[in-house]
Amino acid sequence: MSGADSVSVYESAVTQVGGQVEAFLGHGLLIFFGAGSPPELHDISVLHEATLAEDGPCPGDTIHLGDPANGGVSLEVLAVGPVVRDNLLNLGHLDLKADGRTEPNLPGDVCVRVGDLPLLQPGDAFRITRPADQTTNGDPS
Amino acid sequence: MGDYKSVKVTKGRGGWGGPLTIKPSDDRPLIASITGGGIHPVAQKIADLTGGEAFDGFSSSAPFEKIACAVIDCGGTARVGVYPMKKVPTVDIHGTSPAGPLAMFITEDLFVSGVKPEDVAEA
Repeated sequence: MSGADSVSVYESAVTQVGGQVEAFLGHGLLIFFGAGSPPELHDISVLHEATLAEDGPCPGDTIHLGDPANGGVSLEVLAVGPVVRDNLLNLGHLDLKADGRTEPNLPGDVCVRVGDLPLLQPGDAFRITRPADQTTNGDPS
Repeated sequence: MGDYKSVKVTKGRGGWGGPLTIKPSDDRPLIASITGGGIHPVAQKIADLTGGEAFDGFSSSAPFEKIACAVIDCGGTARVGVYPMKKVPTVDIHGTSPAGPLAMFITEDLFVSGVKPEDVAEA
């Protein structure tokens, strides 16, 4: 996809990566929390500070993690649980699961394709983009 | 200094685990509401009935070892595991069952879910 035909609904920058985050990647799981979250959550979480928080992810959106030139990835959102939006907008919290499911297993899950998730670093981007016109099928020209 | 009472927290509809008996102490007086949007009514009720002190874990910080009980609104993976892993009795508003890499720490004696204010009663 190109940047021109999508809009950001969430933009953030990673501030800290907890010591257990890499172990969770082995389970296909990446956990985000806002930088103001309680310290006991920091070990398991990627902490970040949002600069844009308009909406949570919806199926069909794309989650962008890290620098595309340096191991970053763009992941299509397959499924979103019912508490995801509140979690993200209120707490900066998101549970990203690379489980390939099209129905979320748990109410807090955001599901993407099975595969590796990147080990993020402070300064990396965490963005969610949405197709600018979801009602248009294909190229209008 | 504190004159604390016990409460019994029972799982709600669709919930899992428990029942938990929660009693704060001078060492652990805090009922931590690790939820969005301030102190959750379940945390407030536990605090009111026990004499503990409710606080909002996302707007203020407190020493972890002072927490008698954590009230969470976790949809499944992170918070449900972290507090039981650290042996803190954990009350989930959502009807979550153990799952994820921390599931091994989520046990019936430390975790109860699907809880509404009416599921909290004097012990």
